[in-house]
Amino acid sequence: MKRASVLAGAALVLVVILVVFLGPYAWIVASSFKPQFEIFRDLNPISWATFIPANPTIANFVHLFVNRGVGRALINSAIVSSCQVGGTLLLCAMAAYGLTRIRFRGANFVFGVVLMTFLLPIESLMVPLYMHVANLGLQDTLPGVFIPWIASPFGLFMLRQAFEDLPRELDEAATIDGAGHFRIFWSVVLPNVRTTLATLALVTFLFSWNAFLWPLVVIASPRNQVIQLAIAQSVSIGQLPNWGETFAGATIATVPLIVLFLFLQRYFVRGIALTGVKG
Amino acid sequence: MIAAKRRAILHWAAVTTFVGPFLLMLLMFQYVPVVRMVWDSLWDFALLNPDKRTFVGLGNYLDAFDDPDRRQAFAVTFGFAFGVVCLVIPISFFIAIYLNGRLPARAVVRTVVFLPVVTSSVVIATMWVFLLDPTNGLINGAIAMMGFKKLAFLTSKAQALPSIIGMMVWQQTGFATVLFLSGLQGIPRDLEDAARVDGCGWWQRLRHVVMPLLGRTTVFVVVIMTVFSLQAFAPALIMTGGGPEGTTDFIAFDIYQLAFALQQPGLASAISTLFMLVVMGVSLLQMRLMRSEWSY
Repeated sequence: MKRASVLAGAALVLVVILVVFLGPYAWIVASSFKPQFEIFRDLNPISWATFIPANPTIANFVHLFVNRGVGRALINSAIVSSCQVGGTLLLCAMAAYGLTRIRFRGANFVFGVVLMTFLLPIESLMVPLYMHVANLGLQDTLPGVFIPWIASPFGLFMLRQAFEDLPRELDEAATIDGAGHFRIFWSVVLPNVRTTLATLALVTFLFSWNAFLWPLVVIASPRNQVIQLAIAQSVSIGQLPNWGETFAGATIATVPLIVLFLFLQRYFVRGIALTGVKG
Repeated sequence: MIAAKRRAILHWAAVTTFVGPFLLMLLMFQYVPVVRMVWDSLWDFALLNPDKRTFVGLGNYLDAFDDPDRRQAFAVTFGFAFGVVCLVIPISFFIAIYLNGRLPARAVVRTVVFLPVVTSSVVIATMWVFLLDPTNGLINGAIAMMGFKKLAFLTSKAQALPSIIGMMVWQQTGFATVLFLSGLQGIPRDLEDAARVDGCGWWQRLRHVVMPLLGRTTVFVVVIMTVFSLQAFAPALIMTGGGPEGTTDFIAFDIYQLAFALQQPGLASAISTLFMLVVMGVSLLQMRLMRSEWSY
């Protein structure tokens, strides 16, 4: 009897959670396959038709790609995110190697300087950073979007931890065999921290793909738009948005990440829980 | 002698090669802007012509304190953070309890709750503009179906900020849940079992065994949620434009508007500096609390 009531309570919680968290996604995705009048019609009253398009059409998506340059924005986002992931992994891994494997005076001081940047809210830096990046001639360029972030304190923190956990006997053996730092870094240390590298790559990709404020500040011309800017523009206040088209854009921007997330959930959750350390 | 010198040179060459690039980029894109921000906050100038500037000392700071709009932005942002924390903590705590128990469909719940965490703040703000639409939104559709009157949400002075708080709670619950869950998994099972043997019911175990042990985790989650909420930007830009009547004018949005639309980067830098100090203060508090020994 008691067991039954516990299960009933759990089922209720389950239904509420599913409705609250999946409902909005279902509505957005379903509506992206509908013309505007159908979106409004299917809402009064709410029924299965609200969440499943009766006559799905891809007109919204076609219009986005043909007239709104979303294809370009997707390619730009892909370029920015992959460069940011590559740059972050390389820079952070090298610095983590230097801090853990080459003993030098001042290593702790350097790490302290890095840790201090954890405290800086990026949002407060946008104005001086914009002027700085403009001085370097990087405003309104794709490198200007990702270059400021590749020296990631979070990435260094995460990799340093993983490098520390790696037994030193490994590289001592390699040193005796006559390997230099680059050999040890590339063929001994890196292969042994693959999981951490993959986690960092995922989290960096997620942040880069989803970033908004900085791209908004630094990018001006439509040909350099990234996907988040393209979506934000279609809802900008003061103009009547096309609902289906906006939903199609949101769907396009989100689906790649959700697919990645579903396949690599464990790494995502672990990596994002770790970013909590940064705060 | 020469060999030793050679070794020292090689040693520092290796250090520079490995650590140098990272440090250089970090200094260039994090520390230089901070210094520049503090410096710029002492001047009055326009972004379009930054070389033509007049020194105003602490004038920008005084302006920031004097202006009711700036004070409102700080009040709105802190009210927002407070609202988010008050709701996220209990909700995510109970979802974490659910996930930590031996109940059905845990994997599904964890995945579903985490979806908004991997969705961009732009997409979430966009989704919610339409969910909260006064006439054709999904939420008003549900409200109408249950026979209630539709709500104005973002267009109402009283409802706009609470609506965005609701959205932020929806967005951050998954993250907070994961943090609570890892805290819960750190509690030894035998502690709870012992309480059960002593005849404690579910609520008593939760109240007197689990909750006291999660003190540190809770502080941690509170601080993270506060810092995240203080930095909210996309909702103001996409959903409300800071309105109606400045009731959703978050600090980050205020800074953005001042610098890039109103061409007052000096004032924006002064507010940024204050904002940075506040956020750093909250984060430092976190570090202090995390380091102090909690009675386990």
